[in-house]
Amino acid sequence: MTTADTNLSAREDPAAQTASASLAARQTTPAQLLVALVRREFWEHRALWMAPLLIAALLVICAFPAHLDFVPEEARDALADRMNQRAMFQLLQWGLTVPQYLVMLIVLNFYLLDCLYAERKDRSILFWKSLPISDGATVVSKLLVALVVVPVGVYLLAALTDLLFTAIWLGRAAMGSLPSWVSGMWGTMAWIKVEILMLMGLLTSILWYAPFAAYLLLVSAWARRNVFLWALLPPVFAILIERLAFGTHHVLALIHYRSWGIWEALHLQDAMTHAVIGSGDDRIVSLSGVFDTLDLRDIITNTDLWLGVLVAVGLTFAAARIRRYRDDT
Amino acid sequence: MTAMIEARGLKKYYGSTHAVDGVSFTIAAGRIVGLIGPNGAGKTTVLKAILGLTRFDGELKVLGLSPDTDRDELMKEVCFIADVAVLPKWLRVSQALGFLERVHPRFDLSRAREFLSRTDIRLQSRVRELSKGMVTQLHLALILAIDARLLVLDEPTLGLDLLFRRKFYDTLVNDYFDKDRTILVTTHQVEEIEHLLTDVIFINRGAVLLDSSVEDLAARYTQLIVTAEQAAALRALKPFYEHPVFGRIALFFEGRSAAELTAAAGTGVELRTPSVADLFVAKMQGAAA
Repeated sequence: MTTADTNLSAREDPAAQTASASLAARQTTPAQLLVALVRREFWEHRALWMAPLLIAALLVICAFPAHLDFVPEEARDALADRMNQRAMFQLLQWGLTVPQYLVMLIVLNFYLLDCLYAERKDRSILFWKSLPISDGATVVSKLLVALVVVPVGVYLLAALTDLLFTAIWLGRAAMGSLPSWVSGMWGTMAWIKVEILMLMGLLTSILWYAPFAAYLLLVSAWARRNVFLWALLPPVFAILIERLAFGTHHVLALIHYRSWGIWEALHLQDAMTHAVIGSGDDRIVSLSGVFDTLDLRDIITNTDLWLGVLVAVGLTFAAARIRRYRDDT
Repeated sequence: MTAMIEARGLKKYYGSTHAVDGVSFTIAAGRIVGLIGPNGAGKTTVLKAILGLTRFDGELKVLGLSPDTDRDELMKEVCFIADVAVLPKWLRVSQALGFLERVHPRFDLSRAREFLSRTDIRLQSRVRELSKGMVTQLHLALILAIDARLLVLDEPTLGLDLLFRRKFYDTLVNDYFDKDRTILVTTHQVEEIEHLLTDVIFINRGAVLLDSSVEDLAARYTQLIVTAEQAAALRALKPFYEHPVFGRIALFFEGRSAAELTAAAGTGVELRTPSVADLFVAKMQGAAA
C-alpha cells in the first residue's frame, strides 16, 4: 500500500502545482484516505494496540521467573535428545501465541461491535459525515483494521515475543538458572517452519472468519442500542425457533461449521502436530516439510471459504448502506 | 446569480407527522441566510436533507448536485457544524489537524493553525479536556480552514456564553465569508445574528412562512407603536399582528406604504422596520391567531 501510495502522489504532485493557488485542491488517493482512516481507528480504539503490547510484554517478563522444575525425572533423560528439545521449543513457540491471539480475538470482537455504534452514541458521526469521506471507505477501513492490520500486527508481535522469550531462556540456561538442555532448543529452520505454518493459519482465518467480522460490523451500524444483544439474538433465536418448529439444528450446525470447519477441512491441526513432533531429523529441518500435510491449494480451492468471503462482501456493503442514512438519532 | 440551493416541494413525513410539508426556496451564492423557526418546525430536517443525511421527497439541488445520490461529491464543497458537541472526545487537536490535512482536499492547515493561535487551545489537548466554548472554537477553526462553497450551521452556539457566541459570529463574518460563499444558519438567538443576515427564511410546522432578503423586509413590513385611538383607526388597514407595549400598541403591517399608514394614524407616529426577531414573533403569533 505504501509503495502504491508514494507512486500516486508523485504522479499527481505536478498537476496540483499547476492548479491555481487559491483553489489548489490536493488529491487524496483512496490509499492515502484508507491509511488516514486506519490511523484514526488506533487513536479512538486504543485497546487495539495497547492490549497486544501489554500481553506481549507480560509474556516476555514471564521468561525471567519461569522455571522447568515441573518436568519429571524420566522426561529429563528424553530431553537430552536434540529432537525432543526442538519439539519442546516449537511447542513453546506455539504456546506463547495462544494468549496473544485470544486477547486479540476479544479486543477485535468488542471493536467491531463498537466502531460504527460509538460514533452515533457520541454523535461524532455528524463530524465525520461533514468531511468528504464516503460511507464505503469508512466501513472498509474498519474491516481492514480488524481483518488485516491488527492480525498481521499481532502475528509480527508474537514472533518478536517468542524471539525475546527464547533469548532470555538461552541466556538463563547459559548462566545455569535453567537446565542445560534448554540451550539446545533453538533451531532456526524449525522456528521459521512454525512461523510459516502460523502465517498460513492466520491468512486462512482472516478469509474464513471474514463473514463473522462483517456481521458484527453490520450490527454495529444498525443497532440503536444494545449492540451485544443484537449480535447474539438473531443466531440464538434462529436456533431456538428451528429447534421448536422443525426439531432440526441446521443453524447450529452451520454456525459450528463456520467456527471450526476450516481446520477440519485443511487438517491444520495435523500439520501443526506434524511440524512440532516431526518424524525424523530431516523433517524437522527441511522447510519443504511444512507443506507435506498442509497445501496452499487446499485453501485456494475451498469453495466454502470463498462463499464466506462473498457473504462478507455483501454484509460489508449492507453496513455501508445502513450508515449512509444513520445519524445521531 | 447562481443558485446554491434549490428546493421544490421538499417533503419529509415520519409516519403521520409531517416534519417538512412541501417546502420550496432558493438560496443564491454570497448570502448569509437565517433559517428561523420554533422547535419542531422542521429546520433540522431541511438542513439534514440539504446535507444528504436523511431521505426526502421532492426536488432538491445543492450546488447543482443531488444530496441524495451525489453526497460524496457534494461534501468536497460543503461543510457543516451540526451541533457544538459532536467532535469526538478522544481526538487530540494535533490529530484533528493531521487527519483533515490528509483527507480533505480543501483543508488549509496553516489557516487552521492561525485560527487556533488566537485561542488558548493547545495542540496536545484532547477534546474531552477542553471547555464547551473551546470545543466550538476548535470546530470553527477546523471548518473555517476548509475552502467550502456552502457552510451549514445548525445551532452552532447552543449553550455557549455571550462572549463565545459573539466571537464565533465575528470570526465567521470577518475571516470567512465572501461573495463566493454561502452560509446557512439556524439558531434560537435570532437577535444576535440578525445584523449579519442577508436573507431570512421563517419556517413553521414544516412550511415556509416567509422567505425574503433583509433589504426587502424594509419595503414590505412596517411596525408602528401607537395609542389605542390611533390603533383603532389603523386596524382598518389590517395589521397582521399587534401586541401591547407599555400602555401603547405595536402594530405590524405587510405591504402598506408609509403614506397610507401615516394618513390613517395621523401625525406623530414613528414608522419603522421591525427587527427580524420582532417580525419572527409577529409572524408566528399572527399565523397562530
